[in-house]
Amino acid sequence: MHISEGVLSGPVLAAGAVMAAAGTGLGLKRIDYDQIVHVAILAAAFFVASLIHVNIGPASVHLILNGIVGLLLGLAAIPAILTALLLQSILFQYGGLTALGVNVVVMAFPAVLCHYFFRPFLGASSTLTFIAGFLAGVFSILLSSLLLGAALWFTDQNFLETSLVIITAHIPVMIIEGIITGFCVSFLLKVYPEILPKKKR
Amino acid sequence: MKVKKIVISVLILLLIPIADLMAHKVILFAWVEDGMIHTASSFGGKRMAKDCAITVLDENNTLVHTGRTDMDGKYTFKVPDSIDSDLVLTLDAGTGHRAEWKLSRDELRAGGLTGDEKPATEIEKKIKEKEGLEKNPSVLNIMAGILIIFALAFSMRMVKKKKASAEKGVK
Repeated sequence: MHISEGVLSGPVLAAGAVMAAAGTGLGLKRIDYDQIVHVAILAAAFFVASLIHVNIGPASVHLILNGIVGLLLGLAAIPAILTALLLQSILFQYGGLTALGVNVVVMAFPAVLCHYFFRPFLGASSTLTFIAGFLAGVFSILLSSLLLGAALWFTDQNFLETSLVIITAHIPVMIIEGIITGFCVSFLLKVYPEILPKKKR
Repeated sequence: MKVKKIVISVLILLLIPIADLMAHKVILFAWVEDGMIHTASSFGGKRMAKDCAITVLDENNTLVHTGRTDMDGKYTFKVPDSIDSDLVLTLDAGTGHRAEWKLSRDELRAGGLTGDEKPATEIEKKIKEKEGLEKNPSVLNIMAGILIIFALAFSMRMVKKKKASAEKGVK
């Protein structure tokens, strides 16, 4: 899911950087004092998640966990994911510094959408909470795959073909992340409901 | 109590069963041997970059050659005739993963290593060295990343606290 250096054209990289900067500014403004620790915990989880590879048949996929980050943080997920991606880029050479903006857009924006789509169902009932978590996990990866396809398409590749390849490769990740997000959200809401951001008036 | 809950949450989020720890950066390695250019590529460890596009450009960005890796992540082709330029080989593994390797003009002219120099073991050694750098981020790096995240969060808390105190002081 991480786009490497030298893959995308200048305008795509610039557009990604501008969108990521705007989103980060907005996200930083929304972080409450009490929410900072949650942002750090989820950013750390996201930072480590990409190291977790699951071997499924001949393929090896890694977790992303942008769904749970977005679902629980809302707009604050953008600076959280930016920080984690920056550190992954510096410490593990995942992605690249020039592609950081696009990688943030690809992974953080779907995460924020998950918050607005599925947050209202959290806490309604344990089944609904699990389903909302599962769908957030699936939807975030699906939309990230589409955005990744779009970024490559704007450069020079065939959008439909590329997106299909990316989505197909990430189907196992969608299911795994859906289950992980569903269970984690259900558990967290039981033991620590304060992790959900308060609704802004 | 609140701290206990936070610690439980951290453990839940961080201690998900780890199936395998591997980097996912694609690696390309190329060398010249007996008038042929050989390439080997992988995603680190034993995961070969199968059926990936290889493009070869000269220093004027003119396309010199294209091909695809086999099921072992390898591709071999003849050194282009009358080449008088460095060559940049690019492996495109799709989904945003790309790696490059540069072969110098001198290396191409010399025709590379001869059979007597037993290059295979040397090359394998070099590939392993390179892969060693790419895979398995150290625990130190992981811990450093997590520490940086929490240090940033702590700094942000301090700033917000100061800001809130200043605002209270004004009122």
